[in-house]
Amino acid sequence: MSVVAYALLSLGFFFVMTGVIGILRLPDFYTRLHAMGKTDTIGVALLVLGVAILEGPSLNGLKILLIIVFIGLASPTATHALGRAAHRSGLAPWGNSPTPNDDET
Amino acid sequence: MHEFLIALTVGIALAMLLSLYRLLKGPTLWDRLSGLGLVGTKTIVLLLLIGRITNREDIFVDITLSYTLISFIGSVALARYFEGKETQRS
Repeated sequence: MSVVAYALLSLGFFFVMTGVIGILRLPDFYTRLHAMGKTDTIGVALLVLGVAILEGPSLNGLKILLIIVFIGLASPTATHALGRAAHRSGLAPWGNSPTPNDDET
Repeated sequence: MHEFLIALTVGIALAMLLSLYRLLKGPTLWDRLSGLGLVGTKTIVLLLLIGRITNREDIFVDITLSYTLISFIGSVALARYFEGKETQRS
């Protein structure tokens, strides 16, 4: 059983490091948000699930599973709020478009 | 197998340091806010691993649960506060 937990911890750490490399290397805010939002959600969820499997079926394990549910609800919400706030504040995407926000309807 | 958990804790701390670079040097305000969110989510894992290593899960799980709530509410509240304001400079 602990082999599954260590595999989940390693996979989650891989996702977290991928997100960190993306947020260091990508050219502008929207691409960095794209790299950050998904990898951070799934990476942290896998790491917390690995710790929950190490913990076993108990009250603490149930609380750790509750943390996973809350991460799945709140992390995409925070990413979406950041992206929408940046777009409504007029932050132009990276690229060679002639005018900023030219896709605004 | 505590050695694996200690190595994983060091790795997560390294990832936190690298995301702190985006928080400190980000060219726009939004980069700084996303770096803040990254450090917040990694802190959740770090607290759980520290509790597992030191065998004090009963305390650290409650701390992690409340930290998760406060971190995400703070991130969404900051994003909504700066929404619609002209914040091109950092």
